[in-house]
Amino acid sequence: VSARWRTVGVFYLFALPFAALTIVFGLWPIALSVITSFTESSTALRTDPVYVGLANYTAVLADPVFHASLWRTTLYTLLSVLANLAFALGVALLLHSPLIGYGKTFFKVAIFLPVVTPDVAGYAVWRWLYDQSFGAINAALALLAMPRFGGIAAQSTAMLALLVAELWHHAGFYVVIFLANLAILDRAVEEAAEIDGATPRQKLWHVILPQLRPSLVVNGVYAIIQFLKTFTVVVVMTKGGPADSTNFVSYYAWQMFDQGRYGEATAMATVLFAIVAVVAMTAYRFGQRGERT
Amino acid sequence: MTGAASPDRHYAGALPRPVAVAFAYGGAALISILFLYPFWWMLLGAFRSAEAVLTAPLRLWPETLDWRGFASLASVGGISIWRYVVNSVVITLASTAVGVMITGLGAYAIVRRPDLPGFGLLRAGFLLAMMYPYMLLVIPAYIVMFKLGLLGSYAGLILFLALGPLQFFLFEQFFRTIPREVIEAATIDGAGEFQIFRRIVLPMAMPIVATVTIITFLLNWAQWFPVMVVSRGPETFTLPVALINLSGELGVNFQGIMALASATTIPVVIVFLTAQKRVMQGMADGAVKG
Repeated sequence: VSARWRTVGVFYLFALPFAALTIVFGLWPIALSVITSFTESSTALRTDPVYVGLANYTAVLADPVFHASLWRTTLYTLLSVLANLAFALGVALLLHSPLIGYGKTFFKVAIFLPVVTPDVAGYAVWRWLYDQSFGAINAALALLAMPRFGGIAAQSTAMLALLVAELWHHAGFYVVIFLANLAILDRAVEEAAEIDGATPRQKLWHVILPQLRPSLVVNGVYAIIQFLKTFTVVVVMTKGGPADSTNFVSYYAWQMFDQGRYGEATAMATVLFAIVAVVAMTAYRFGQRGERT
Repeated sequence: MTGAASPDRHYAGALPRPVAVAFAYGGAALISILFLYPFWWMLLGAFRSAEAVLTAPLRLWPETLDWRGFASLASVGGISIWRYVVNSVVITLASTAVGVMITGLGAYAIVRRPDLPGFGLLRAGFLLAMMYPYMLLVIPAYIVMFKLGLLGSYAGLILFLALGPLQFFLFEQFFRTIPREVIEAATIDGAGEFQIFRRIVLPMAMPIVATVTIITFLLNWAQWFPVMVVSRGPETFTLPVALINLSGELGVNFQGIMALASATTIPVVIVFLTAQKRVMQGMADGAVKG
């Protein structure tokens, strides 16, 4: 028994700190969050909270601001995922093309640098780049004789402004994943297509893109989760404004919490988690199924 | 630069090759410039007075090196900038060291003996915790910290930042590549599990440990929300949190914001540039596994 314990015990010893952290800072807070979502906000932090059943959930689901926020988050996620993947795929194909030889590493590093830049710092700079009087963007547009860009100051452009700033921060990550996939493409298939006289466009659609499926799935799932949870950029640049035009679900939930409405805030957190989990699983399954056929 | 100029990759487009090359380089250069410009504008903003930026936002070189932006940082939110710098360095380094050790050991145990009771559950629990929207996990984590008496302590911050999904996936992926035969041979030679780990697994794992360490450092340096929420006051704030506070202050100190953004960014840029290949490769690997 003791010899067996010696081999097995080592592994439990190794796993113990990891398990402790996972439970204390992962599972316990999640459980607390779920429990809090069933309590009355003003009593949530007391030792004997008043349980109100699903009241917080019905309140949240009936809240028109939450509906608007959820719809806005969905729209933003959709646009961001498409913009980021299309842009990153374009850049990756460009950098992978035989036309780019020397300098490839430089281009890659330049596009990846914003990924490791602390998001708070990057977005603080973007907030001022968009500024109507300080900002370089409107100055540059004026120089090119183009109309002004409202940036984060106008309701109609605030979401686009955040999308661009977030693309700057995230796209390099997706580029690197596409490039990793492109590096293992089957050259033989590509050459066969060339010999058969395929045009570059045909080659892209029928030879390269199908082989990029794994990275499209990975990037797609990552991007969906990433943008559904959009938070920091809102805190730094818009605080949900102007007029709620960038008030996404994470930020709205955080505002609720900040106002001491713990029950509603945690109910919203649970709803968002359910959405993230379902969407991520579906996207993943969808990708997996496609791979097998 | 691998494969960049390999002879087997030839060009078969419609345009003459030199024209196509010019277009390709032009496009790549334009994108790179657009991506790097915010960094340059940030540095310029840190070294130019707000009035100067207001008159000529697009100027590409500072009139004079104006250090007033950095000087204004002597105290942010009533606390010396050096306190934030020290906090950033200490919290990032400590959470990285603790995180790499704990995650590495945990992943090793789970990969080697997935059959042991509880390990499957542990992995699933970890993945669940990592999928939970982070900013919403921080909120109940505040309550947990309060209950454990860790609120506002360095220990609480360091432990909270220690775990991350990318780190776990990188380790898990690596440990799966260790051939069973290597370990079985050592077992036959009479080595115990602890010796196997120290003498065989650990030396093999050094490259992945280095990769995970650098990536964790970069990720944890940027953390701000947990630090802000779990702190009791600015005494444990890091540079990004100080930047959030400075941006939120009334009476905008544009030059100070740019100076603080620069101070927050420069350390990670240096770390990244010295290890760019490892970082990009590691992040791609970690993501593809997850």
